[in-house]
Amino acid sequence: MKPLRSLFSFATRLRVLGALGLASTLALGWAWSEVPVEPIRNPFAGEEWVLPSAQPSLRPGEGAGLVTTQCSLCHSLDYIATQPALTRAQWTAGIEKMRTRFGAPIQTNQVSALVEYLTRNYGKP
Amino acid sequence: MKPGKDRDTGTGNEQSMEKMKGSQEVHDLSRRRFLISGALATAAWPGIRVLADAEMTLPFANGGRPLVKYPQKRPLIRLTARPPQLETPFSVFNESLLTPNDAFFVRYHLTNAPPPRDLLEPERFRLHVSGRVTSPLTLSVAELKSRFESVETVAVLQCSGNSRGFFEPRVGGGQLGHGAMGCARWKGVRLADVLKAAGIQAEARQVLFNGLDTPLLPATPDFIKSIEPDLAVNPELLLAYEMNGEPLPWLNGFPLRLVVPGYFGTYWIKQVSEITVVDAEFKGFWMNPGYRIPDDPCAAISPGTTPKRTVPITRLNVRSFITSLTPGATVRVGETVTLRGIAFDDGQGIQEVDVSEDGGRHWRSADLGTSLGKYAFREWTLPWKPLQAGPQTLLARATNRLGQSQPREPLWNPAGYMRNCIEPVEVTAV
Repeated sequence: MKPLRSLFSFATRLRVLGALGLASTLALGWAWSEVPVEPIRNPFAGEEWVLPSAQPSLRPGEGAGLVTTQCSLCHSLDYIATQPALTRAQWTAGIEKMRTRFGAPIQTNQVSALVEYLTRNYGKP
Repeated sequence: MKPGKDRDTGTGNEQSMEKMKGSQEVHDLSRRRFLISGALATAAWPGIRVLADAEMTLPFANGGRPLVKYPQKRPLIRLTARPPQLETPFSVFNESLLTPNDAFFVRYHLTNAPPPRDLLEPERFRLHVSGRVTSPLTLSVAELKSRFESVETVAVLQCSGNSRGFFEPRVGGGQLGHGAMGCARWKGVRLADVLKAAGIQAEARQVLFNGLDTPLLPATPDFIKSIEPDLAVNPELLLAYEMNGEPLPWLNGFPLRLVVPGYFGTYWIKQVSEITVVDAEFKGFWMNPGYRIPDDPCAAISPGTTPKRTVPITRLNVRSFITSLTPGATVRVGETVTLRGIAFDDGQGIQEVDVSEDGGRHWRSADLGTSLGKYAFREWTLPWKPLQAGPQTLLARATNRLGQSQPREPLWNPAGYMRNCIEPVEVTAV
């Protein structure tokens, strides 16, 4: 396992070699076919900077709509779906953190419904 | 915290940080974004499909993940979509000591992240240095490059919560396998040189770093991290604009990020746009209560309990991995294979890697590869000839120059940080 520099920096070094002149470029022609023609030095070139937006939906059940609305305000629902089976206390602490630390607009009378859904569908009794 | 707003605030209390967060205009923009994204989410909800190239399963309960292609990235293990959190497939660590940019992990915290491209264009992006400094600075990346000396360092970037999914009992948070780490050659200017040009005043107590990622709600704390002035003027810290010879990928902080060799990734602020020197201890959420560990030499407490006292997470602990064989692999009796892997620590330097082929009864010293630097992944290799058929438990254990090593059994803390126990690899010889 040798430390590898990226293909691009390899290409860059080859391009510096290329500045030696056309003749040397032709002489090295066989090697150049292995190298990208124009390395992406400009990060704004090439592919668009667009994020994939898909995310899983939550398990159906009473409260799923409320959880979806409240939680996906700030983050995708895979934050919930990838958690291990958390206890009721852990889910309660999570909701409280979102409410008090992160300022999530969760009404106090919604907390129990959120905790109930999460514990039932993504928790352990 | 947006450029041009209240940057000369020189105190570290929460009110001043609230001011730093920006103007009403910024909040209005956030609200508009929220309305748009909310509408999209609602409209797209029922029929939404994960555009995954493939799926994989991390080796713990509920470990199913899609492999998803992001800009400038190969398909990576996606933990979350908004904000993006992507993990490097473990096989990448057996391919090269430098983790390729397109495989490097991604971890953002706030809803509006990564910052949109128009804020990052060379003519728009600026780094502001302000607060308790003699000469506040506003610098483009081009100006940074022309005014200050460029230096390179090879360093491991590891997420505080790397391997959190292996905690037992399980803890909440990003359920990562071992792929929230990577080693890259970072190029940039010394933070110390920039701070020297600005002139840190004697009253300085902390140096704050903020990037262009922003929360959706005004009440959500912006992702701001603080370090001590002594660390900030350490010549090893960089404001980096290149990674492995290329501009930083968008998702790894283009056009500028902080590099703090030996420290966990939480300090390596991406799209870093504001450095503020303050005269009081910073008390923002992401320093307290966020990103804290039990105040104990091992950062550990009894599983399921609550720490009495906590301190901010800081330096990496010693880790090593076997990369050439994955759990469940098959090897042939009597045929020599080269066991290979990586080891790293917080820059003391890896002194030794010991390997056991029998679950820890006997240990042999592995050969260390060429050092790419004291903060880099260090390769180790060891030939192994399995002598009898059946299951075998392979272990690797690194020790650094201070004698710090890895525990056989995992340690536990409630946030799931700093896992560094020996990671057994069970294989079968046939």
